[in-house]
Amino acid sequence: MSYLLLTLLLLPLVGSGLVFAWRNTSSKYLALGIALIQMLLTFYVVSDFDFNPTVDSVLQYEINEPWSQFIKSKLHFGIDGMSLLLLLLTNILMPIIILSSFNENVSYKNTFYGLILLMQFGLVGVFTALDGLLFYIFWEITLIPIWFIAALWGQENKRLEFTTKFFVYTFVGSLFMLAGLIYVYNHSASFALTDLYNANLGETQQIVVFWFIFFAFAVKLPVFPFHTWQPDTYTYSPTQGSMLLSGIMLKMAIYGVLRYLIPITPTAIFGISGQIVIILAIVGIVHGALIAIIQTDMKRIIAYSSFSHVGLMVAGIFSSAVLTLRGTFTIEGAEGALVQTFAHGINVAGLFFCADILYKRFKSRDIRQMGGLAKVAPKFAVLFLIIILGSMGVPLTNGFIGEFILIKSIFDFNVLASVIAGLTVILCAVYLLRFYGKAMFGQGDEAVLSTAKDLSAVEFSVLASIAVFVIVLGVFPQPVIDMVSSSLKFIYTSMIN
Amino acid sequence: MSVLIIVFLTAVAALFSGVFEQGKFARYIGIFGLIIALYVSFLPEASFFAQYRHMYDYTANTALFTKISLVTTLLLFFLGGFAFSNHRSHQSELYALMLFALCGGIILFGFQNLVTLFLGIEILSIPLYVMAGANKTDLRSNEASIKYFLMGAFATGFLLFGIAFIYGSTGTFDLYKIQEFTITNPKNIMLILGVIMMLCAMSFKVALAPFHMWSPDVYAGSPSLITAFMASVVKISGFFALFRLMTIGFSGVTAEWINILGVFLIITLFLANAMGLAQTNAKRMLAYSSVSHAGYIGLVFFGMNALSTYTLAFYLFAYSLSTVGVFMCLIWVEKIKRETSFGAFKGLAKTEPLLAVVATISLLSMAGIPLTAGFMGKFSLFAQALTKDDNTFLVIVAVLGSAISIAYYLRLIIAMFFFKESTFKTAEKVTITYNIVAVVIIASLVILGVYPDFFAKQFGL
Repeated sequence: MSYLLLTLLLLPLVGSGLVFAWRNTSSKYLALGIALIQMLLTFYVVSDFDFNPTVDSVLQYEINEPWSQFIKSKLHFGIDGMSLLLLLLTNILMPIIILSSFNENVSYKNTFYGLILLMQFGLVGVFTALDGLLFYIFWEITLIPIWFIAALWGQENKRLEFTTKFFVYTFVGSLFMLAGLIYVYNHSASFALTDLYNANLGETQQIVVFWFIFFAFAVKLPVFPFHTWQPDTYTYSPTQGSMLLSGIMLKMAIYGVLRYLIPITPTAIFGISGQIVIILAIVGIVHGALIAIIQTDMKRIIAYSSFSHVGLMVAGIFSSAVLTLRGTFTIEGAEGALVQTFAHGINVAGLFFCADILYKRFKSRDIRQMGGLAKVAPKFAVLFLIIILGSMGVPLTNGFIGEFILIKSIFDFNVLASVIAGLTVILCAVYLLRFYGKAMFGQGDEAVLSTAKDLSAVEFSVLASIAVFVIVLGVFPQPVIDMVSSSLKFIYTSMIN
Repeated sequence: MSVLIIVFLTAVAALFSGVFEQGKFARYIGIFGLIIALYVSFLPEASFFAQYRHMYDYTANTALFTKISLVTTLLLFFLGGFAFSNHRSHQSELYALMLFALCGGIILFGFQNLVTLFLGIEILSIPLYVMAGANKTDLRSNEASIKYFLMGAFATGFLLFGIAFIYGSTGTFDLYKIQEFTITNPKNIMLILGVIMMLCAMSFKVALAPFHMWSPDVYAGSPSLITAFMASVVKISGFFALFRLMTIGFSGVTAEWINILGVFLIITLFLANAMGLAQTNAKRMLAYSSVSHAGYIGLVFFGMNALSTYTLAFYLFAYSLSTVGVFMCLIWVEKIKRETSFGAFKGLAKTEPLLAVVATISLLSMAGIPLTAGFMGKFSLFAQALTKDDNTFLVIVAVLGSAISIAYYLRLIIAMFFFKESTFKTAEKVTITYNIVAVVIIASLVILGVYPDFFAKQFGL
């Protein structure tokens, strides 16, 4: 049993309990401290990690303890390269997200920060669980805190309506996933990952299971027709809620697709279902980008841009899965998707924080009412530009390499598909540059501009740390690819067998 | 059987304690008696009491369900002091009636003869007719009582008719002899008619649609503590009786009734959840939620295996605990606001955080959110039903049902947490007993959700 992983799991839970109990206005420092310790622990795991494992040692730091005699499920946790990448994303973003709220006068501080840490507990659980039921349980645990965060600290008007829609939508999806997992469980020996992989389902059974499980991921990602909850929820959540939702929570679904869906139901993916998903994802890419272009609310622009980017990742994963099943073993699409997952998580959190800064200066989310901030806030203008360029996937930023690999992988699958999917690069430049141009240059309201200040220390430290990641990962993306390739090979090999 | 005797004696003592001090002792007598009964239920049963002339059979399962209903009743008795504090007189009678109804339930857990089944159901039901009308000055309470009585009498008619058919075709009242007969003669038309009649009668008792019409009005009209009793203990008794009857007595003709039950479940799950969504009153919402839970519990008949009884017990225990958890909050609000619309709960979390938390965790447990007991219960039911591919449709309906249900549970949680102004005065505080019960319920729901085997160990499995 690995005590290091146990600490990683329990620290946020215990921490959230402490923060809840400590009814003090300075509870934010406690929360930040816990998140920082968690981040350092994760860095230690990275430094200690075996990046070139043999087939047997893909999983490291395993915990495998008995749980219930009635449910054939074990407390089985472990870290492989893919888990590590997402753990890293979670635990890097958490202190940034907590820090980003320091300037605000958050009401009920201890509840707010307690919920964020509770969320972190759920996320770490999702990314390290190696048992179907545990995965589902942690998946659901993350839903409760984010719902409370979105609903309690969101925009006053309409927040209940939209957050309830969000909750019900994702809950329906999750329940279908549960039914799908139980279905597989009844044909396998237990909920253990390897048993789920070897469940030997027939073709029709696999198709049923595929759509049951995919529905949950499709809602969370979101994939094309299931996205209606997303823009509203992102818009009306508090900034920290939007950062958590788009930065990390969405990635649970990418992870779930790779870890559970693809290896369990290869026959379904080989059939028509995999291609339907690719088509839906590509429709989503174009649909999301086109809607983003006509939006005037900046949070909605970011929400639709996130929707569009996610489509590309899904299309990439499935196109390399379909190619592999057709006989050419390739993990490129999945690699690209994971690199993009990491990059997008950081960029979108940065974008939401920039939107928050703009909102504080202009007191409006409407980009038509903005302009000229670059003159009074040059530091902000530079950092914001770096994040915007990262999101657009300009070479030498973190967004580029993932997008490149993804489009190449879709190209291998189908040329026409890659051409349509490639539109995302152009369209993304259109709406993001328009957003940036409107907000930072052009004619601004003089009265607002004369009182607007440049970044405060907290804002600067948040944006600067994000910008560092944007550039460093843009110049050296190889470590991320190395991190995930061995575990992806393992997963895709399990899929073929 | 000794537990039954203890509970019965306690009930009599509680009844006669009404002579003194307007019956304030009845509650303490009840608590004392129930604790002793609970203690005795954990002891091995003396052989003298275990079997009574093929009428009553005290098996391990009987003991398990007896324990669950004793624990639930005990929790309700702790709440009784606050819940009944407006009832100047007749308190002792109410407590005594609850204990008598519990006796009926305990008889149902061990019936081995259709006559015992009938006796158990009547002993369970008749006190309930009276208790539903306990608020004598309240018109809705009177309506509840009359409605319950008329519907109950109707169901009794069905039950007796069914028993008559079964006796006519098999020539016996004994559960195990009926089982032998059904295995050898599964095509007997009279027998099947009797089985279906009894299924309908029992569906009345556990409020399965389309025989659920009485339940929302009765639940909403009765005093809240009594409603909690109906939703928990009565449901446990009714369901285990149905379970014993159908899986032991009529196991030979399963194919004849299982599809009818499946249709009942589908109607229940859709109707109850859709109606629950339309409610504006928390108490009526909980009534429909209770009906919908009958639908989930009904899944236990599909995909029967060795663990079915355990699954049923676990689900019923989790459900009872969460029912008590929600109702203790509702009773408090009703006492202060004199109404139970969702609006009455606004801002409860500000003045009584513990009460709001216990209600929230209970509601999440009813909805089946992980790390609560309700999730483990629902999971086991779904997993069991999905062992057969034929049941996939039924499970999809149940999944959709719970998805709808979360929407109306959320409304109560939203009312408690998401309003800036509290409509409660900070001076109104709940009693210490109340807080203790709240902590016990939260702890049990979470422990059972994280470590479900705890239940099996405590209840001797």
